[in-house]
Parts: sequence; structure tokens; C-alpha cells
Amino acid sequence: MAGIVTEPWSSAENGNASMTPKGSSRELRHGRTAHNMSSSSLRKKSDLRVIQKVPYKGLKDFLTNLQEVILGTKLAILFPAIPAAIICTYCGVSQPWIFGLSMLGLTPLAERVSFLTEQLAFYTGPTLGGLLNATCGNATELIIAILALTNNKVAVVKYSLLGSILSNLLLVLGTSLFCGGIANLRREQRFDRKQADVNFFLLLLGLLCHLLPLLYTYVATEDTPAAVISDMSLVLSRSSSIIMLISYIAYLVFQLWTHRQLFDAQDQEDEYDDDVEEETAVISFWSGFVWLVGMTLVIALLSEYVVATIETASESWNLSVSFISIILLPIVGNAAEHAGAIIFAFKNKLDISLGVALGSATQIGLFVVPLTIIVSWIIGINMDLNFNLLETGSLALSIIITAFTLQDGTSHYMKGLVLLMCYFIIAICFFVDKLPQKQPNGFHMGLQQMNNVVTATGGGVFSS
Amino acid sequence: MGSIVEPWVTAENGNATAKGSNRELRHGRTAHNMSSSSLRKKSDLRLIQKVPCKTLKNILSNFQEVILGTKLTLLFLAIPLAILANSYHYGRPLIFGLSLIGLTPLAERVSFLTEQLAFYTGPTVGGLLNATCGNATELIIAILALANNKVAVVKYSLLGSILSNLLLVLGTSLFCGGIANIRREQRFDRKQADVNFFLLLMGLLCHLLPLLLKYAATGEVSTSLINNMSLNLSRTSSIVMLIAYIAYLIFQLWTHRQLFEAQEDDDDDAYDDEVTVEETPVIGFWSGFAWLVGMTLVIALLSEYVVATIEEASDSWGLSVGFISIILLPIVGNAAEHAGAIIFAFKNKLDISLGVALGSATQISLFVVPLSVIVAWIMGIKMDLNFNILETSSLALAIIITAFTLQDGTSHYMKGLVLLLCYVIIAACFFVDQIPQKQPNGTIVGIQPKNNPGSGFFSA
Repeated sequence: MAGIVTEPWSSAENGNASMTPKGSSRELRHGRTAHNMSSSSLRKKSDLRVIQKVPYKGLKDFLTNLQEVILGTKLAILFPAIPAAIICTYCGVSQPWIFGLSMLGLTPLAERVSFLTEQLAFYTGPTLGGLLNATCGNATELIIAILALTNNKVAVVKYSLLGSILSNLLLVLGTSLFCGGIANLRREQRFDRKQADVNFFLLLLGLLCHLLPLLYTYVATEDTPAAVISDMSLVLSRSSSIIMLISYIAYLVFQLWTHRQLFDAQDQEDEYDDDVEEETAVISFWSGFVWLVGMTLVIALLSEYVVATIETASESWNLSVSFISIILLPIVGNAAEHAGAIIFAFKNKLDISLGVALGSATQIGLFVVPLTIIVSWIIGINMDLNFNLLETGSLALSIIITAFTLQDGTSHYMKGLVLLMCYFIIAICFFVDKLPQKQPNGFHMGLQQMNNVVTATGGGVFSS
Repeated sequence: MGSIVEPWVTAENGNATAKGSNRELRHGRTAHNMSSSSLRKKSDLRLIQKVPCKTLKNILSNFQEVILGTKLTLLFLAIPLAILANSYHYGRPLIFGLSLIGLTPLAERVSFLTEQLAFYTGPTVGGLLNATCGNATELIIAILALANNKVAVVKYSLLGSILSNLLLVLGTSLFCGGIANIRREQRFDRKQADVNFFLLLMGLLCHLLPLLLKYAATGEVSTSLINNMSLNLSRTSSIVMLIAYIAYLIFQLWTHRQLFEAQEDDDDDAYDDEVTVEETPVIGFWSGFAWLVGMTLVIALLSEYVVATIEEASDSWGLSVGFISIILLPIVGNAAEHAGAIIFAFKNKLDISLGVALGSATQISLFVVPLSVIVAWIMGIKMDLNFNILETSSLALAIIITAFTLQDGTSHYMKGLVLLLCYVIIAACFFVDQIPQKQPNGTIVGIQPKNNPGSGFFSA
């Protein structure tokens, strides 16, 4: 229990990993997706010497547990933000502070949830572990989305989910490819494009589901009342969500069962290999489970603060709500995966970086988004898949640019730089976007009101 | 002065030149230079040798190299004609036409001079010089049009340059190359093409977002707010695009130069004539520099005429300003590169043709366009990156079609034909587009519902 310290990621990198004697180890390693492995790069070896001195056994166990979970990450310094945020709420400190502290507090929590999921995967076996990871990996985004829904802030939901996809596709991938390219300037960087391809056509499916409700609002003739259009859009969105969830389940079957070999991290020779260690869990199943539940509750609490204070923070910091939701929230939520992806790119293990970034994007695009629609359906809130013109346009072009960039299976720093620049441009676009907050149901008829604008300027394309 | 240089022959010849420095010099010449040099003629210096006075001989040979050293020399006559026509106030359309014709050989000569200067400055600076001066014509026309506050002309001409490079130049090269090499497999290195494409896609994103911003605005937002947002976004995006362009130059000229060097095939080439000749410049550095400055001034003069007379020419020829700016101006400006790209495609050297066409498109999209926006910012003119829906869609689809076409690294004449026909379709679209001239600040609110209520897509 206390003796063996594991560095889960090192065995994956080690070329000799396949020689671990226990067959179950190999299975366990397969149960860890790229997502887990990248987050584990932020883990610290637990130094258990101090605790060994504690005489009382039960206390020793408890302290070990605590140390593994709370202190076992480099992000541990951000943990104090959580009690600070709670105190601020009760003391009535200004809302922007609560917002900022909650965001800071969410960062290590997301990483710890990923760690706990990985620990539980040791007990549940690879398939269930993969499933657990796929679901819990985006716990933060899911919880924020559902809480925002219950507060009827549909725009925040849409923006934050869209921002997560954009952040994964452009920011995480861009910085990984860029740093990896700079670090490996003289080496050829290859990756297996089959895995990337699967993610891309699923993302394109998601894009289609977003595009069609959007187009509905533009093809409607003027004698169709807005209610009919929004109704059509809603029905289409809800049915599309069911289909998206079906395809997500198929993707899980594909990834974890029938074509698992496509997604296994390639064993490459690497001079960064450390020692091979036997992989065992560092905490027991039930304590892991309890911690997971506990952390999820804390995430829910902080997300509640975030959702409640987002407008006040936006006014006081003079940023639009859309900018905060699309750019700031996902950066916070993704920080752990982001760091991990960069580290793996430095080591020229692009498959893992790509697996993290693209896998996350696919999960949000095909799982969290439709799930949110279904939940809103159950709650009785009208949320559809129409993410509005600007956002859908950015999403479409991001998917296309990333797909083209990764098409040939190689990488260099220019690719990362271009993706990163595209993200900056999109961020700038939402930064200067001082348009008033959209309707609560997130629905607006963009072009309709151009009437007034156009007649005011007195000229235009089709004036007769 | 004595040796005659045929720069392109060395590149085609399978035997690499012996001197290491020659290899470096050749590396300094990008595909752009090499294609233009195919229009060069060997200078026949025998006549000049008979002139007794030495300095006169130098001047004359210099003159011959620069002015007469191209097959396009005949068009040089248009320049004095245009100046004459302007001074004597002949018909404006005539001035326009003559200036257009005069610009063609000038663009080619500037490219030649840049290449000559590259011999002195070394490969990296030479590459930089070429990258900047290669699109001198487009840049000068853009800045002059800005100075005359004709923002629409700027946008159209730059867009037309990109379209012309992507579809027309590439299409004709691939088509002619495919017909000429109908039994041979034509391959090219797609890594170079890929770099250009994702830079072009990034440029497309920068054009798309201001356009979408205008459409996403709801009715109660005032036009000035929308324009302001679009302007800020465009100006910041331009800075980002320039940063990306600088990174592209570093990538192309320094860290990953090997991707962009012309591949030496071991094809037996039936067109190889002369033996490798040592590459030296044919004119001195300072004379080259002086000629470059002089020619740039003449280009500026002719561009001034072009920009000033474009409306009258459009009225008198019955073509819209949009058509002239998008189709005619770029054809003229690109004529030299165009011819060169076709010639290289005939010789099955697709990498060079692609390098010319795609490299030019990337340079205009990521360098000239953002530079124009920044210059407009400095001048206080409101130019944004919103090129209106018709033009942006043509651009988007042109990039996507070309990217898909070149995806697999091979080529045949069908690919060229399709690209060419796409260009013809877009040209037809702008030809029939008799929509009245856009506002001076170039802002146009794209799709407007018809004035009668109860018709059209978007009326309330």
C-alpha cells in the first residue's frame, strides 16, 4: 500500500513496457487513454517518509490517502482558492472576486478528478475504466453546463461548450504542435492519422447538427412566425442530439473494444524513459470512490458560483459574457490536459497529444452537447443546437483548418503556430464583440434586422 | 560582364554545379525567381562590343541586359505612350489600357532585378527581397488606391490576385503540364503545398470573422458600432497575420528550407540544352539597385494612372469596376509569373509551378492584405478585412477546391482544367455583376432584402 510508488506514464513511454510480467498490467495500461496519461504528467511522486513517522496506523492510512489525493499534483498550490472562494461567498465579498477564485479552484479539481478516475480504472478493468474516463474527463464542462441550464442561462451553456471545443482543437493542439516542433526541430515528427481522422469525421457530424438549425433561421420566409421556426429548430436539435449520442456510443465501442489498437499509445524508443515500475493503485477503491464523489460536489459548488457571478464579473472586468464563456472558462477547465499535451509533444509523442486534444473535442462535441440538450428537454428549457452565426462559423473553420493541417500525418512548428494564431484571431473576434447579450433561449434572427441598417446606409448589393 | 547566365538551366540540369557557393546562390532563388527567369533572353552582346568607348559600352550593355533582356520588351513601348496620352489628355480608357500593358514587362523586370541583387546579398536576404518585391505591383496599386480612398478597388484587386494565382495560374499550368506529359506520372511534394494552404485558410478565417460579425449583429446595434468592431478585429487580425507571415519566412528560408528547394529529378529532360554555366550576376549591385528604384517609380506612375482612370474605363468599356479589379488587373500583374509557371509545368517541374502560384497567393493574402490594412490605419482610412459575401465565398471555395485537388501529390490535366473552369465561372460571376459601385469606405452591408415588403428572405 504505502511502499510502491507508481509513475504511470513512465511505463507507457518505456520501450520495455510490454515486458512487464503481469498480463493484467498490459490490460490496465490499455485501460488508460491518452487523456489519463497526459494528466498524470502533472503528478508528483508522493513522499511518504513524513507520514511513516506517525505511530497510529489508522491515522497513517488516512494521512497517506490525503497526501496522495490532495498533494499529489503540481497544481496543489491552487487548492487554497477553494476555501477562499467559499469564504468570500459567505462574507459577501464582491462577485468578480468569487468568480476569479472559483475559476482558479476548478483547475486542480479537474486534474484530481482525472487522477481518481485513473485509480478507479485499476479496479474496474480497462473497458469500464475507459468509459469512466470518457465520461468524467469532461466533468467540469458538464457540470457547468447543467448548472447554467438550471439558472436558465442558455447562452452561457452554448458559449462555454463551444469554447471548449475551440480550445481543444486550436489552443491545446496548437501549443502542443508548436512546442513540439520547436523542441524537435531537426527530427521528423509523425503521428498516426487514423485516430485523428476518426475524431474529425465525428466532429464534422457534430458540425452538421449545429449547421442545420442555424440554416433554418435563415431560410424561413417572412410570414413564418418566429415561434414556428424556433419550434422546428428545437425538434430538430433534440432528435439530432439523440443521434449524436448514438454515434458517441458507437465511437466508444470502436475506441475501447473493436479497434482499440488504433488508439493505443505507440511504444517508441525514447531516451526520456525512466524505470519500469509495477502499476498499482495508490488508493483503495472505496476511498477513491468517496474522493471522486466529494470532488465532484466541490466542482459543482464552485461551478455554481461561477455561473451565478459571471455577469457581474463580465461587467466589472469589461469583457463580454461571450468572451468569458468562450475563452476564459475553457482555458481554466482544460489547463491540466493542456499542460500534459505540451509535455508529450516535447517528447515527440504526438499520438498522445493528439489523442488528448481531439478526443476531448469529440467528447464535448458529441457527448456533452447532446446530453445538455436532453437534460434541458427534461427540465423543460428550450435549448437548441443553433449556436449562432459567428460561433458556428468559427467552429466550422476551426474544424476544417485543423483537419487540413493534420491531414498528412506529419507535424512541424508552423502547423502549431497557425492553429494558435487562428485561436487568437477567434479570441480577438469575441473580445471586440460588444454586441448585447443574446436572448435567453440563445436564439436570434441575425439577418432580419439588417433591414434597418441597410436602409439607413442607403446602398447595398441588391437595391433595385 | 562576360559570362552569360541562364539561371534556370542550372536548376534543370541534373548535375549540381561544383561550387558550394553556387548551390547556396541557387537556393537563394525561390521558385518565383526561377519562373520569371524563363522569360529572359540571352543578351547578345556582339553589337555592343563594337562600340569603342568603354563606359558607353558598359552603359549600353547594362541597358541591353535590363531593358531588352526579356521577351516582353515590346510592351515597354506602352509606357512612354501612356505618359504621352496622359499629358495630352487623350481618352481616359486609353490611358488605362496603355498603363495596364506597360505594367506587364515592368513586373517581370523587377523580378529579374531582385534576382540579380540576390547574388550580392546572399540567399536569405535575397529570398526576403524576393518575397517582398515579388508582389511590388499589387502592393503599389493597393497603396495608391488607398491614398485615393478607393478601398473597394484595393479589396477587389488583392482578392483577384489571390484568385488568379490559385485558380488561373495553377489551372493553366497543371492543364498544360498534363497535356504535355500525358503519358508520364506527374508528382510533386505536397508538404510545400500544405504549408501554403493552411496559411491561406488562416487568412480566410481572418476575412470570414468580420463578415460574420456584420451578419450576426441584431437590429438594434448601430452601423457605426458594427463597423468599429469589424475595424478593430481586422486591424488586430492583420497584425496577427503579419506575425504568421514572418514565421512563414523563417520557416521557408531558415529552419525548413529543404522543403522548399526545387527537387532535382533524374528525369532525362529533352529540353536541356546548354551545359552548366557559372552563375554570376550580369549587372553590378549599384546599377541593379538604381534600376530597381527607377522601375519601381515607373510602376508607381503607371499605377497612379490605372487607379485614377479605372472608373472611366469601366464606364466606357461597359465592365464593372469589380470585374476590372478582380479579373483584369491581376492578369496583367501576374503575366510574367503565369508564363513561367506554364513553362515549368511543360517540363514536368510541378514543384516550381506550385511554388510560384501558391507562394504568390500566400504572400498576397498574408503580407500585402494585412499591410494594406495597417497602411490604411496609419493613413486614417477605414479599411477592414470584410471583403463582402460574394468575394469571400469565392475565395473560400477556391482555397478548398485547390487544397483538395492538390491533396494527393499527383497531377493530371483534369485537375488543371477544373481549376481553370472554376476561375472562368468566378470571372463570369463578376462579369454579370452589374451592382452599383460600393460605398467609398468599402463597407457594404451584404445581403439586403428587397425593398418591397413581403418578399425576399429576411424582411421582417
